[in-house]
Amino acid sequence: MSSWTLLDRCCNTCWHSIDYPCRNYIRCRIEGPLCHDVSECRDKRLRRLKEIKYGKYGFKIKVPMASCTIAAGSKEVYKAVIDEVKSRGIRADISITGCMGLCFIDPWIELIKEGMPPAIYANVKPEDIPKIINEYLNGSVSSAFALRHRTGKAKDEDKVPLLEEIPAWGKQVRWVSRNCGIVNPESLEEYIAYGGYRGLERALKMKPEEVIEEVKKAGLRGRGGAGFPTWLKWKICRDQVSDVKYVIANADEGDPGAFMNRLLAESDPFRIIEGLTIAAYAIGAKQGFIFVRVEKPLMAERLSKAVEEARKYGLLGDNILGKGFSFNIEVILSAGAFVCGEETAMIAAIEGRTSPRQRPPYPATKGLWGKPTIINNVETLAHVSLILAEGWKEFAKYGTEKSKGTKMFCVTGAVKYTGAYEVPIGTTIKTLVEEIAGGVKEGRKIKAVQIGGPSGGCIPADLLDIPIDYHTLQSAGAIMGSGGIVVIDDTSCMVDVARYFTAFTVVESCGKCIPCRVGMKILYDIMTRITEGKGTEEDLEILEKLGNIVKNASLCALGGTAPNPILSTLRYFKDEYLAHIRDKKCPAKVCRKLIEYVIDESKCIGCGTCYRICSASAITKTPQGKYRIDPKKCIRCGQCYSTCPVNAIYKR
Amino acid sequence: MPYIRGDYSLVKVYIDGIEVEVPPSYTILQAVNKIGVKIPTLCYFGEIYREASCRLCLVELENGKLVPACAYPIQDNLKVYTNTPRVRMTRRVVLELILAIHRIRCQSCPRKGGFCELLKLCNEYGVEGIPVCAECPLMGNDCFLTKGIPCLGPLTVAGCNAQCIIEGNACMGCRGPVTRRDVVEEAFKLYLKYNIPMSEVLSRMKMFWSSSPFYDHLTSLFSQFSLKYQGERHG
Repeated sequence: MSSWTLLDRCCNTCWHSIDYPCRNYIRCRIEGPLCHDVSECRDKRLRRLKEIKYGKYGFKIKVPMASCTIAAGSKEVYKAVIDEVKSRGIRADISITGCMGLCFIDPWIELIKEGMPPAIYANVKPEDIPKIINEYLNGSVSSAFALRHRTGKAKDEDKVPLLEEIPAWGKQVRWVSRNCGIVNPESLEEYIAYGGYRGLERALKMKPEEVIEEVKKAGLRGRGGAGFPTWLKWKICRDQVSDVKYVIANADEGDPGAFMNRLLAESDPFRIIEGLTIAAYAIGAKQGFIFVRVEKPLMAERLSKAVEEARKYGLLGDNILGKGFSFNIEVILSAGAFVCGEETAMIAAIEGRTSPRQRPPYPATKGLWGKPTIINNVETLAHVSLILAEGWKEFAKYGTEKSKGTKMFCVTGAVKYTGAYEVPIGTTIKTLVEEIAGGVKEGRKIKAVQIGGPSGGCIPADLLDIPIDYHTLQSAGAIMGSGGIVVIDDTSCMVDVARYFTAFTVVESCGKCIPCRVGMKILYDIMTRITEGKGTEEDLEILEKLGNIVKNASLCALGGTAPNPILSTLRYFKDEYLAHIRDKKCPAKVCRKLIEYVIDESKCIGCGTCYRICSASAITKTPQGKYRIDPKKCIRCGQCYSTCPVNAIYKR
Repeated sequence: MPYIRGDYSLVKVYIDGIEVEVPPSYTILQAVNKIGVKIPTLCYFGEIYREASCRLCLVELENGKLVPACAYPIQDNLKVYTNTPRVRMTRRVVLELILAIHRIRCQSCPRKGGFCELLKLCNEYGVEGIPVCAECPLMGNDCFLTKGIPCLGPLTVAGCNAQCIIEGNACMGCRGPVTRRDVVEEAFKLYLKYNIPMSEVLSRMKMFWSSSPFYDHLTSLFSQFSLKYQGERHG
């Protein structure tokens, strides 16, 4: 009994096999057998569905296993849970799951028992596990972080908030990330039990044109950054006359501070494979690729496993679901270059060449090996599978008139609750940053918000009321990008921030075209000069002029957006640049060459901590028993500043 | 299947307002060449290399986009502007960027003798940074340095077509100095190679450049290099 899964035949009446697949395979799995009405078989399936939800013995422990939670220590927690369950002889299922996107509660575990409220425990340490399990089994949830829902059967239920009551969760619209943190990412069975593959089943019953029409009605636009209408891309590719076509899933996410693609692929990989299969059906492709960053090994592993699993059950391969449609997926590892996120560079990388090429011809007409190819972001494909499953109306409910649906954003930087949050497009930045992510830490102020990674721009604090959609952000000088939002508070220097992002693009430039290769280096040199206090006011003119030229004259989107951080900070924070140039002062006291560490002698207690830690021997003892920093010897490493027990050292 | 002899339908494009009919497989550059308008190219090499990496052949489309003429396929009714102020300004900056990473060694450059496309473009777009030495061989001049005469050619901004040298006089530097470190270093090495006393070069420089803000910069560079190449003098 234990080895029987939902994906297997219920009895000998079921004739499904990979060679002769049943058309109603997916629906049959969750709604009980459709071809024969036997209550025994139906009960078998229902029982299994319940098992998936509550575990075989009515008690299930979920431990998240994604790169982020593993980094926070969930592997140790997992081990501790197994040890505890074994040593106490508790009959429980321990299952792994994906990441919820709430980074600030990592690592968390969820305990689910039939009849009890499913409780999530945050920031769990391995030594807490016995206590938590004990408490939960005794019918109390008092130390839980949140509950999924209340049942009224456990102690202290009212004191623990529901997940919906926490703003970081409750204000989100979990549409594409609905399964993240709920399903086991390595189990196709669970994915189908939670409603997966219904989209593919429905799509295969429609004509390819109808699938494109459905996506058009939904108004889905590419979630990779540029916001090109997905249906249009598909239609252009569909209209091409070619015997071979390709689809590629762009899982090469490289922006600093953006991880929503990784989160989706690690927590719900089958959804991406389903979306890619639908896309292939819509344009008539037989071969697909998933282009994954090599720096995200778990993501690649999960996707490869998912592809194998889907192939094993006939959801990839020949004659999918008996509709005569054949499709195969290959997972390709990139070498980890930021430019590979650009369509033509990605195609070149798959072909074994380097660097992007001039568009047009666009990949939709002439792409991989000269054949029509569509490249969609992982998030776009995940949306596609849901649009087909739920219908376009459900999707178009959210969002604004021009940009529909929801989008995942990764809010990082100086906020209280970092994480990946999904909100409808058109939500204001303020809601996202201040309500969902909890705003900046006490006593600080938001200075700017950097949207779209190194190709995006900085939006100042007084413009935070603007809604996040493709048009508004563009007119404000930023781009949506893949959705990374870095919150910058008043302890950061905007010139330094722009310089950091410029350094990133200088390193990541492929070097093919002159404006990006040389222009960005010159821009970076000027930025460095300004942060060192050697800039002139002429430099600002050069920054603006050269930045605009690099933007207009570059070959690909990397160069075309690389000067954005400089241009947007110049637009909104010119006074900070001028302070660096005219007064040779860094207002946020970040730029090393422009600050000076001083010991306040009235506060100094003469403990000598700074004296011992100084690596440049710049600190000397005064006859009064206090200490003093010699500015000529000081290398501004900030070691003394951070170690002083009485905060007697300040920056000037 | 019948033998397809190719698509002979032509499409209309407008280049700077001039109507041209070309086959639809053409790029902008091919269409432009048909009416004799010149677009500068550096990396373009016919059918072999059209990767659009030098960005010098940028032209403006009607929607304000700058696209490389060598790789952009034409469409029907495409309106192309090849010589707007914006195009010229962008090309000029691109040239400046190319020059910024170019190792200027005109004396030892294999392209000297009339093939320096970069020099021609720099002169056309008014980009300064190449010394007169690049122009001298174009005119078939003998080098004064080989005769031991102090000539400021290796240091002076090109653009005069080496007039003085044609007339039989060594360069006086009337067009001002090239202040790039690598150019000055190359010049210094040349003077060393042909045993020309630095004092004579410096006194020559005083004539036009003594009031220039770069004069001090040049002399300081010279003194730096004289320290660097001390052992190699007359050797």
